[in-house]
Amino acid sequence: MNLIEIGLIDGVLTGAVYALMAAGLTLIFGVLDMINIAQGIFVILGSYLSLILEQHLGIGLLPGLAITIPVMFLLGVFVEWAFIRRIGAENRVTMSILITYAVMIVVEGVLLLTYGSNYQSLSASYVTNSFDLLGHYIPEIYVYGFILSVAAVVVLYAILYRTRLGTSLRASMDNAMAASLVGVNVKRVSTLAFGIGVAVTAIGGMLFGAIQPFTPNTGYDLISRLLSIVVLGGLGSVGGALGGAMVMLIIEDVVSTVWSPTWAPLLYFAVLIVVLLVKPTGIFGRQAVRSQ
Amino acid sequence: MTSPLTRVRRPFASAEQEAAGDPTPTAWISLLVRRPLWRSVVLVLLLILIPLVITGATFTTIAVYCLMYMGIATAWNSFSGFSGYVSLGHAVFFGVGAYTMALLSTHWNMSGGLSMFALLPLAGVIAALIAIPYGYVALRTRRHTFVVITIAFFFIFQLLAFNLSFTGGSAGVVLPNGQFSAADYNDPFYYACLVVLVLTVAVAAGIRRSRFGLQLFAIRDDEDRARSLGVKVNRVKITSFAVSAVPVAMMGAVWAFFIGQIYPQFAFNPALDVTIALMAFIGGFGTIIGPLLGALVLEALQRYLNLYLANADLYLVIYGLLFLVVISFLPEGILPSIAGRLRQRRLRSQNSTTVSTQESR
Amino acid sequence: MRTLERIIVHRDRRAHRRFVRVGLTLAAASLALAACGSSSASSSASSSKAPIVVGTSLSLTGDFASNGIAFQQGYNAWVHYVNAHGGLLGHQVSLKILNDDSSPSQVATNYQDLITTDHVPLIVGPFSSLLTVPAAKIASRYGYAMVEGAGGAPSVFSYGLKNVFDVSYPIKIAVVPTAEWIASLPKSERPTTAAYVTSNNIFAEPQIAPAQAVLQKAGVRTVYNQVFQSETTDFSPLADAIVASHAQVVVLSSTSVSKIIDFVKIFTASHFYPKVLIGTNGVGEPTFVNAVGKQAANGIIEPNGWYPGYKNPLSTTFVDEYLKLYGGSAGSITASSAEAFGTGEVLAQAVEATHSFNQAKILKYLHSGAVFQTDQGPVKFNAKGENVDGIVQTFQWQDGGNKLVQILPKGSQSVAPLFPRPAAD
Repeated sequence: MNLIEIGLIDGVLTGAVYALMAAGLTLIFGVLDMINIAQGIFVILGSYLSLILEQHLGIGLLPGLAITIPVMFLLGVFVEWAFIRRIGAENRVTMSILITYAVMIVVEGVLLLTYGSNYQSLSASYVTNSFDLLGHYIPEIYVYGFILSVAAVVVLYAILYRTRLGTSLRASMDNAMAASLVGVNVKRVSTLAFGIGVAVTAIGGMLFGAIQPFTPNTGYDLISRLLSIVVLGGLGSVGGALGGAMVMLIIEDVVSTVWSPTWAPLLYFAVLIVVLLVKPTGIFGRQAVRSQ
Repeated sequence: MTSPLTRVRRPFASAEQEAAGDPTPTAWISLLVRRPLWRSVVLVLLLILIPLVITGATFTTIAVYCLMYMGIATAWNSFSGFSGYVSLGHAVFFGVGAYTMALLSTHWNMSGGLSMFALLPLAGVIAALIAIPYGYVALRTRRHTFVVITIAFFFIFQLLAFNLSFTGGSAGVVLPNGQFSAADYNDPFYYACLVVLVLTVAVAAGIRRSRFGLQLFAIRDDEDRARSLGVKVNRVKITSFAVSAVPVAMMGAVWAFFIGQIYPQFAFNPALDVTIALMAFIGGFGTIIGPLLGALVLEALQRYLNLYLANADLYLVIYGLLFLVVISFLPEGILPSIAGRLRQRRLRSQNSTTVSTQESR
Repeated sequence: MRTLERIIVHRDRRAHRRFVRVGLTLAAASLALAACGSSSASSSASSSKAPIVVGTSLSLTGDFASNGIAFQQGYNAWVHYVNAHGGLLGHQVSLKILNDDSSPSQVATNYQDLITTDHVPLIVGPFSSLLTVPAAKIASRYGYAMVEGAGGAPSVFSYGLKNVFDVSYPIKIAVVPTAEWIASLPKSERPTTAAYVTSNNIFAEPQIAPAQAVLQKAGVRTVYNQVFQSETTDFSPLADAIVASHAQVVVLSSTSVSKIIDFVKIFTASHFYPKVLIGTNGVGEPTFVNAVGKQAANGIIEPNGWYPGYKNPLSTTFVDEYLKLYGGSAGSITASSAEAFGTGEVLAQAVEATHSFNQAKILKYLHSGAVFQTDQGPVKFNAKGENVDGIVQTFQWQDGGNKLVQILPKGSQSVAPLFPRPAAD
C-alpha cells in the first residue's frame, strides 16, 4: 500500500471521531446560537471519566459508555441551566465565549487538583491489537472508533430527523422566535440540545483517550480544530461537521505522510480560509445563517 | 443597547452652582471633574509621576504589564467592542510587533538603548499592512464564523513563525540587552507603554465620537440595516480592524524588548485574546474607560496573585467559579453593574427631587 | 440613522460624566497598587543570623507543570539534605518558590521580585530552556549567577550570557553515545537505515542532527527525517510513514513523553520492531511503561542524566532524601528531580568554596573551571556555562520491560545492550 492510501485511510478513520465531537459542537451552535469553547475540555473530561471507571471500578471502556454518556448529558444540562441560559441577545457571541471559557478553566482546575498534570492513558486489548489490511496494520481502536463514531452520528441524525424532539430542535435552529410561536418550548429544547451536544463528548473522549495520552491541558489543542471543522462544514449542520472533519483530517493526514507534518496544519487552515473566501457559510452551510 | 450606566442622568446642578462662584478647592475639583480634557491631563500626569515615586522593580514591572494590557484591551475594544465582531486573533498583531522588534533590532545590530523604541511605529505599520488583507478575508463572514477565522489566522501565523527560515524557528530570537541601569531599568518601558496607551485611548475616544464610530456602532446594532442606510460596511470594518492592530503590535514590540527573548508559542499567545475580552467585559464593552479599568484590575490582580499564591490549580478553580458567578449575577460586567446599582440607590434616596428616566429602553 | 446618531451623541455626553468617577477610581486604584508595591519593597533583607533564602521560579501550572513539580521536589530534597548537614556556612536554608505558570513574562517578574523585593542572596534556575534565558537576563542585570538544571538547549548558550550554568549535559550530545555505539557494531550486524522524527521544540530538535551525522558517517542511511508541530494530536500518519520506511533505527525526540507513547503504541499495533528504538524523553519513567505495556517497552533506549539505580554517593543520598520527604518507591523518581538536586548541590559547593554569599565571588568561582560533584556525576563549566564534564547515560528497558538498566557508557554498572530489540509477539 502506498503512502497516499495510508494517509487516506488514517484520515477517514480519525476523521469520524472528530466528526462526532464536532457534531455536538455544531448542534449547540445551531440551536443556541453560541460558541462553546468548553467542548475541548468536555472531551478530556470524558476521557477522565472512562479512566476512573476503568481504574477504580474495573468497567471496560465500551460498557463504561453506558455510564459516561448519561453523566456528560446531565453535566451539559446543568451548565446550560446554570449559566448559558443567562446570556441575553446582546453581545451573545462574546458572552458565550467567556462563559464557556470560565467553565473550561473550572473543569481543568478540578482535573488538575484531582489528577495532576501527568499524562494518563486508557488501555484495553483493542488499543494495542491491530487488523491487517493488505500488509498495512490498522490498530483495532481506530476501526472500532470509526464504527462507533459513525453509529453515533447516525443516531444523532435520526434524533434530528425522525423524532418530535428533532423537529423542535430543527425548528429552533431555523428560527427560535417562530418555533416558540408554534408551541415549541425553546428553553427546554435548548437545554436538551446542549445536553446532547455535550453527551457525545463521552464517546469522543473515550476514543481520544484510547488513541493518545492526555492531561487536563490537552483540551486546548482540541478546541481550535473542532471549531475549524464546524466552520468548514457550515455552522449548525451535522452533515457539515462530518464533511468538514473528513476534509480536514484527510488533508492533514495525507500531507503529513506524503510530505511534511509541520506544514500539514498550515495547509489545512489555508484551505479553510480559501473555502470561506469562496463560500462564507462553509461547505454545507445554508446561505442565510442567522445574523444576530 | 443602552447599558444601565447610561439609562439615568446624573444631576449635576450642585457642582455647577459651586463652580460658578469663587474658586474654592471643591469648585476646582468639580471643574476638573467636568472637563474631560483636564481630567485626562491630570490622570496622565499622575501616571507619569508614579514610577518616579515608587521605584520597586516588582511594582514597576507589573505597572508595565498593566499599561501594556490597558493599551491592548483599548485597541481590541475599539474594534470588537465597537463593531460587535469578536476577534480572537489580535494575538497575531502582538506577535507581528514582537517579531518586527526582534528581527530588525538584531538584523541592524542595535545597541539596546532608547533607539530601540524608534522601531515601534514600524511595528505598527507592518501590523496594519497585514491587517488589511487579513480583515478583507475574515470580515466577509458573519460574526460566529469570524471568531473561528481569527483563530485559524492565529494558528497560521504561529506556524509560520515556527517554520519560516528567517524567524529563527522554535529557537526564537534573542534581542539586544537593554542598556539601562538596573535600578530604573523598567522606566523606559513604562514610558513607552504610556505613550502608546495615551495615543491609543485618544484615537479610540476620537473614533467613538466621530461619524466613523457611529457607523461602527450602527454595524454592531444591525449590520444589514447599516448597509441599507448607506454605510460602506466592509470599508468601515476593515479600517477599524487595521487601526486596532497598530497599538497591539506596538505593545508587542515593547514586550519583546522588555522580556529579551521571544519564542513563537509565547509571542503568538493563544490566551491573549480571551484575556483581553475578559478585561473588556469586566470594565464594560464598547466604552473607553471599561477596557482600561478591566485591564488594570485584572492584570494587576493576576500578577500579584501569581506572585503570592502557592496553589495555582485551586486558583484556577476559584478564578473560573468567581467569573461564572460574576457573569450570572452581573451580566453587564462588574464595573457597569456596580455603577448602575450605586446610581439606582442614590436615585432612590433622591427620588423626591429627580425624575427617573429609567426603563426608557 | 438620525435617531441613532442622537442616541450615540447623547450617550457620549453621559459617558463624559461617567469618566469622572471611573477616572478617579482608576487613579485611586493605581495609588493603592503603588502603596502596596512600595510597602513590600521596603521589607528588607535577611540579617546574617537568619536562615538563608534560596529563590526560584518554577512552572507549577501550565504546560511544563509536571516537570516543574518534579523540580520542586528535587529542590526540596536538596534543602532537606543541606539543613540536615549543618546548612550553608552554618545558616539553615529555606526555599522560596514562586509559580511562573510556564510563562516567560511571569518568570522574569518572579526573579525580579525575588531579587529586588525579597533580596534573596541566592537563586536557582527555573524549569525549561524556554524560560531560562528571560530568567537569566534578569539575574544578570542584578549580577546574580544562575545555576540551573533544565536549560540545556543550545540556544541558551549562544547569546553570550555570562551568568548561566547548566549542571546537566548539553542536550545536543544526548543521542551521540547511542549513535557511536551503533556505529561501532560490526558491519554485518549494523543497521543500514534510520528514521528521525522530532517535535519543533528547542530542547527536542537539537538532539537529532549530531546523532544523525555520526550514523550517516557509519553508513546508516536516513530514510525519514521530519519535524512535527508540538500541537499535533494525531500521530498515526507520521507513525505509519515511519513504518512504511522500514527503518532499522528510529529516533523519537520530543519533550513530551505522550508523543513518544503515541508512536510506540502505533508501532506495536503495526508489528513494527526496529532494531534500535530511541526515545529522548521520559521513556525511563513508569508513565511510559504503564501506557505502552512492558512488552512494548522492552528494548527501548533513552539517554538521560540520571536514573534511580545510578550508583553514585550523592545519587544515593538524593534518593534517600526524596523518599523521606515524598515516600513511594525509588523507581518513581524522575530525572527532573535529580537535576534540581544537582543544581542545588553545585550552588552549595560554590558557596562553601568561596566562603560567602557574594554573587561576584560565586560567579568567578563557577567560571574558574572548578569541578563540582552532583548526583548526576561531575560538573565543570566552560565559558558559555555548558557542563563539559556532563555524562550522557544511556538506559534501556530489558528483562521483558521489567528493568531499566544502564547500557552506556560501558563500565562496572553497565549491562550489555539488548540488540536487536526483540519483537513482542
